[in-house]
Amino acid sequence: MIALENAVVGYGPDKAFIAAVDDVTITIGDNEIVGIAGESGCGKSTLLRALYGDFTHGLRQRGGEINARFTDAGTGTTVEKRGANLSELWWDQISYVPQGSMSVLNPLMKVDKQIIDGLPKREKHGSRADLRKRIANFLKGLGLEESVLEAYPHQLSGGMRQRVLVAIAAFVNPRLILADEPTTALDVVVQKRILLMMVEIQRRLKNTLVLVSHDLGVHYQITDRLAIAYAGKIVEIGPTQKIFAAPSHPYTQALIAALPRVGEKGQRSGLEGRPPSLVKPPQGCRFAARCPEAQDICRAQSPELKMRSADRPVACHFR
Amino acid sequence: MRLLRYIAGRLVVYLLVIVFGLTILFFVPRLGPTDPVEAMLAKVAAQGAYMDASQVDRLRESLADTFGLNGTLLEQYWAFIKRILLTGDFGPSLSMYPTPVMELILNALPWTFGLLLTSTLIAWVLGNFVGLLAGWRPESNAAKAMEGVAIFLYPIPYYILALVLSILFSYVWQIFPLTTTIRGAPWSWDLISSIVWNSILPAASIVIVVFGWWVISVKAQTSQLKDEEFIRYARLKGLSQTRILTRYVLPNAILPQITFLALQIGLMFNGSLITEILFDYPGLGLLIYTAVLQGDFNLLMGTISLSVIAVATATMVIDLIYPLIDPRIRHR
Repeated sequence: MIALENAVVGYGPDKAFIAAVDDVTITIGDNEIVGIAGESGCGKSTLLRALYGDFTHGLRQRGGEINARFTDAGTGTTVEKRGANLSELWWDQISYVPQGSMSVLNPLMKVDKQIIDGLPKREKHGSRADLRKRIANFLKGLGLEESVLEAYPHQLSGGMRQRVLVAIAAFVNPRLILADEPTTALDVVVQKRILLMMVEIQRRLKNTLVLVSHDLGVHYQITDRLAIAYAGKIVEIGPTQKIFAAPSHPYTQALIAALPRVGEKGQRSGLEGRPPSLVKPPQGCRFAARCPEAQDICRAQSPELKMRSADRPVACHFR
Repeated sequence: MRLLRYIAGRLVVYLLVIVFGLTILFFVPRLGPTDPVEAMLAKVAAQGAYMDASQVDRLRESLADTFGLNGTLLEQYWAFIKRILLTGDFGPSLSMYPTPVMELILNALPWTFGLLLTSTLIAWVLGNFVGLLAGWRPESNAAKAMEGVAIFLYPIPYYILALVLSILFSYVWQIFPLTTTIRGAPWSWDLISSIVWNSILPAASIVIVVFGWWVISVKAQTSQLKDEEFIRYARLKGLSQTRILTRYVLPNAILPQITFLALQIGLMFNGSLITEILFDYPGLGLLIYTAVLQGDFNLLMGTISLSVIAVATATMVIDLIYPLIDPRIRHR
């Protein structure tokens, strides 16, 4: 379980703080696949970094709580960490799948070494040959050839490299895997294969997968729950199927309405305008300027993310 | 099979480069107005020797023969290439007649090589070490101090630095000898310590100047690498700083440095002219200097040919070992 409570995370000194994640509350439970969707600059990647506890390169937490509690699958012991201390669990209870660009793996190291590098002690038991065999079997189970282990990164195709990155994160056997746009640069056929692989891993390890993507199609295919982010806030959380069937927040409604359908003729209409600047966000609801239903209260008062039905928190005055 | 083809192709290029270099070396002096035979005859005449016309002709012939200037230009060229590539024979030195050029070179080579190889390697290791740390932790005071020293020393013209060192340590404080004088029986401890003692100052002058360059270049590499995605990924894997530095940053930063090192070693065959003159060090640089001053064509041809061959060899060696250290080259 990992939870943000009124977390304020962002960049810069107090006087000119830019909150890319502003007063966000979300609880991500065990054994589920949670998606975070939103357009560029909405703070979804910062949210992911906060969940990972990666407070470097100027990112810092200014308020609220970030708490994690994981129960080790093997030993049954429970660890609890907060905020920046999450880094003590990296490549142990938490692992991470980056977007597999050309340069995300060390160009001078074979894939097997890059899998072994950073493994926690509990996965390193036995001899080197034994470990290699287990890795090879693991890869085979995911439909990857053993020969991949002997390859250098430049010898792999984009899709292959992404699958290797997923495998590296999964072999750690963590309780939580965070994936940042893992399929963005790939064609849809390869995308599908990688998404299925990630679901397969999650089912097998019974852990938690958090997936950040701007592609609603990706979320529709694999996530159990979906959080919609807009301008540093989460505007709606709910079971993915329900969100797609009946979006509640006006922003979500606009997103879903903009999705093309098969066989459709003509162009879908999008939303006018663009998200507000995070440097000086508006006082009221951040979506008010673009919202078709906006009233005076929306411009004056920021709506809270409140339960509107059993499992659907929505941040809107009129829901 | 592919590897063999690669090596064979590389060897062909290597030979072509050498032949091309030697060709230029053969034709350039012949384009000039000086004829070494006539120059020698003039020298003999100037010394007051009296010869009649037939004697002069005979002397001219035998000199032309000695200098390898018989026959047409093409015949000379062919003989020249064959002689150098097959026998390594550059003929006798003209200024130290009749000592063969090769013997002079072989005498000077160990001096130059010992001095330059040692000082280049020391500067390389030291410079890369300091530059790597300075690039990795630019905020650390030790790195800042070392880098400051390197940047201060780097732009000083070499001859000024060497001269200052020489004046300070050989003249003012008289710690090291002013000119190189080697004493001791062959292979004795005395000889070795004498060589080392005489080489410290010239070696130090080279290390100090070259060191700064290595620091600056590897630092630039390192600070660029720090922003690479695979370094960020390694950090997010929870790897220790030392591990990231030694397994991720170092191997990637050092690759271009290896290329430069090999080229430096190739250039060593030019000797280090200023060092050897200033410290009166009996190496190749001093030999080339003598050859130029004395108009010793054979010696000049010999030393320059050797330098062409050395640089070509160094380049080929890099090309052959590079696939071993950079897998991206290997499979292309």
